[in-house]
Amino acid sequence: MKSARRSLLLRAWRSFLGLAALAFCCDTARARELKIVATTTDLRSIAKSVAGGRASVKSICVGNEDPHYLQAKPSYIMMARGADLWIRVGMELEIGRESPIIDGSRNKSIRVGMRGHLDASENVLRLQVPSVRVTRAMGDVHLSGNPHYWLDPLNGRIVARAIAERLAQLSPADAKVFRTNLVAFERALDEHMFGKELVQEIGGAKLWGLELRGDLLEFLDQRNLREKLGGWAAKMRPFRGMRIVTYHRSWTYLAHRFKLIIPAELERKPGIPPSGSHLAKVVELVKGQGIKAILMEPFYSRRAADLVASKTGARVVVCASSVGGQAGATDYLALMDLIVNRLSEALRAE
Amino acid sequence: MLPVGSILFAREKKDDRLISVAMLFTAVLWIVRATAQEAQRRPDGVEVLKAEVRALREEHEEQRKRYEARLKGLERRLQELESSKAHPRAEGRDETSQKALEAELERLRSEQRAQMTTEAGLSFPSVGRVFQSFNPDISVVLDSSYHADSSKEGIEHILQDLDGFGHSHAHGHGHEHAHLDDGFNLRHAELFLGADVDPYFKAWAMAAVSESDAELEEAVIQTTCLPAGLQAKVGKFFSDFGRINAQHSHDWDFVDQPLVHRLLLGDHGLNEKGVQFSWLAPTPFHLLAGVEAFQGDNELVFNYVGGGHLPRREGPRLWVEWLKFAPNLAGKHGLQLGFFHARGVHQEAHDGNSDGIEDHWLDGRGELWGADAVYKYDAREPYGQGDVTLQAGYIRREKDLEVKDHLLTRGFIGRSRTDEQDGLYAQGAYGFLPRWRLGLRWDRVGLTNRNRLPDGTRNHFDETDRWSAMVDFSPTEFSRFRLQVSRGDYALGGRHKDEWQLFLQLVISLGKHGAHKF
Repeated sequence: MKSARRSLLLRAWRSFLGLAALAFCCDTARARELKIVATTTDLRSIAKSVAGGRASVKSICVGNEDPHYLQAKPSYIMMARGADLWIRVGMELEIGRESPIIDGSRNKSIRVGMRGHLDASENVLRLQVPSVRVTRAMGDVHLSGNPHYWLDPLNGRIVARAIAERLAQLSPADAKVFRTNLVAFERALDEHMFGKELVQEIGGAKLWGLELRGDLLEFLDQRNLREKLGGWAAKMRPFRGMRIVTYHRSWTYLAHRFKLIIPAELERKPGIPPSGSHLAKVVELVKGQGIKAILMEPFYSRRAADLVASKTGARVVVCASSVGGQAGATDYLALMDLIVNRLSEALRAE
Repeated sequence: MLPVGSILFAREKKDDRLISVAMLFTAVLWIVRATAQEAQRRPDGVEVLKAEVRALREEHEEQRKRYEARLKGLERRLQELESSKAHPRAEGRDETSQKALEAELERLRSEQRAQMTTEAGLSFPSVGRVFQSFNPDISVVLDSSYHADSSKEGIEHILQDLDGFGHSHAHGHGHEHAHLDDGFNLRHAELFLGADVDPYFKAWAMAAVSESDAELEEAVIQTTCLPAGLQAKVGKFFSDFGRINAQHSHDWDFVDQPLVHRLLLGDHGLNEKGVQFSWLAPTPFHLLAGVEAFQGDNELVFNYVGGGHLPRREGPRLWVEWLKFAPNLAGKHGLQLGFFHARGVHQEAHDGNSDGIEDHWLDGRGELWGADAVYKYDAREPYGQGDVTLQAGYIRREKDLEVKDHLLTRGFIGRSRTDEQDGLYAQGAYGFLPRWRLGLRWDRVGLTNRNRLPDGTRNHFDETDRWSAMVDFSPTEFSRFRLQVSRGDYALGGRHKDEWQLFLQLVISLGKHGAHKF
């Protein structure tokens, strides 16, 4: 009986090997199409805009989850296995799951340092980069800075350019297409940011340069173009210098771009859930500074925010911080639209 | 009949209408033709003039249209020319300002880097932080616990003498059993060092340091460059013989491992020197197959005792094959099935009359096979709330040995001894609150539990059951408190003993942020 079982096992093993060999041949015979795997939906959306129809783009996250707590699943390994390009947010956001996925995929072309591995944070403008020695007593502080950088549209623009450059390296024949797509994406983003008319007249890159140096309004006033400022910049302009409270330290870049101030988070420390004593302090702060809005992602529990709101009259603004996090956040530009609209509505309300 | 009739009827009505319309149409045509013929029949001077004027007008109109079309074409060409001149200018303008923007960004970035390095007091401003990254990743896991049990002799002794699973007195390579004292215990401090070696390999070493000694649990070189989904691993490492075996003790959902793993593979599990080859099949689902060749030092099923009374057995003495299958489940679900098999050489030395001197020696082979499954539900909520892990496994062991030498009863030489034991476990954990988990585990070993001794006696032993419940709290990913209670019904010397166990465990990890496998 024992030998019968052994021969059965052996036969199963052999037939498996045969099947696998067959599958292997089929796989190599299939035509190649550039495959991109991005870790988040935001990167997926930008990569899609740049790649156009020349690549398939998938993402590990779906957008309505807390990106810090995602678990590595075998199906993610399957996604990474055939990828030509792996795009990560970087700045240690994916540290808890990236290496089992990439190691598990045995795909050497997407390992860190290879051409198929793109850290989208490489060229972005970083905020909250620790300048003192960091310990974990500070909570989930990332050594290379706050990783939620995609909420600054300028960083979205920078990421698109990095993706286009990398795609051109991977598929030189399509370089022209990627370049055209990039220009179109940048133009759309610039128009969303500054308004169509102004971009047509001044040019998006120039406007961003002025915005970076803080000279934009002065420049517009000099040329009598102030009324032509549209888009997110115009929508958020009335709220410059206003204060908001957020749940997690994930809205820093948005606040920085539109000159909002975030004096406190509901989380005691990054990654540590709110406590009663901390919330009491937040309530005092919200009352004292007349803060009108508490901004949070849909995947966090509303309890803490509702508590603070009930004691202060501030509004709770639940808004996705990633593409796919809420209905309407269908792509990167739509996400930013959604955030700007929700936030400006709440801040405008008396 | 009725519906058919009504259709016919409708048809008739329709035909009637068609016929009357056609008749009307013919009548109208006839009248029009008649009046036209009448007009032709009566030509008139006024009518002729009218026709000429009409013809001139038409000619004029046609000319006007032609000129208009030509004019439009010229205008369009002019516009095209103008725009083709203007377009490069606009593009050139955008390109220059794009370059200016990039210069500005670069200035900001370098400012930030400079600020970072000076504020951090680092004297490598030009190198920035990059110089750190050649250091291997370092992490330390401290695992300490408080333990209490209701037995007089201690649970460890009960497990060593459990019916059918009793200690074989094999001499392995000096593994010290991690002794659980009643009271405070430091299981170990686990030191990890690891990095990419070069573009071809990564390597890591893990030492388990206890109070009195240290053991190299893992020292691995792993390929990162092989094509076609292949990977090789060389060194000392935990075999992928089952999910629990491949995990480090601090990754388990309970303080201790399932009984079947503990009793059939020992306290250290299959932790061996050798090589592993594995292959990720190019299937649309996750299929990973591996083979391992090990030296064979496990004291319970695969080892080499040696000495003058036993034949020399050269390594590798242990061979393992395994297969992991995971369907491509969408969304929040993850499932993995594992099948594994191990066979190898096994030798034992026994002290039959308990005088402290070995008196008979056995040689043969050991074989293990099993299967396990894990299902995970990733609720994707913050702080692990709502996550579910369900896991179960089964392992069976067979030993087939021959008496090679017997100092007490020479007649037993050449006779055989066989052992057959198995066991299973099922466990689950659920994140019932942010950062809190609840777990339950059921163990049963000895569903098959028999042996045949050299003197011909056949023994059947009883089953042992154990239930464990745990609750753990992880303030962050780097610390965890766990309370676990176990109640076992142990088969011991043909009788059953009910014993309680209580654990309080604290696991903390320092250094590099570890990544968790599925």
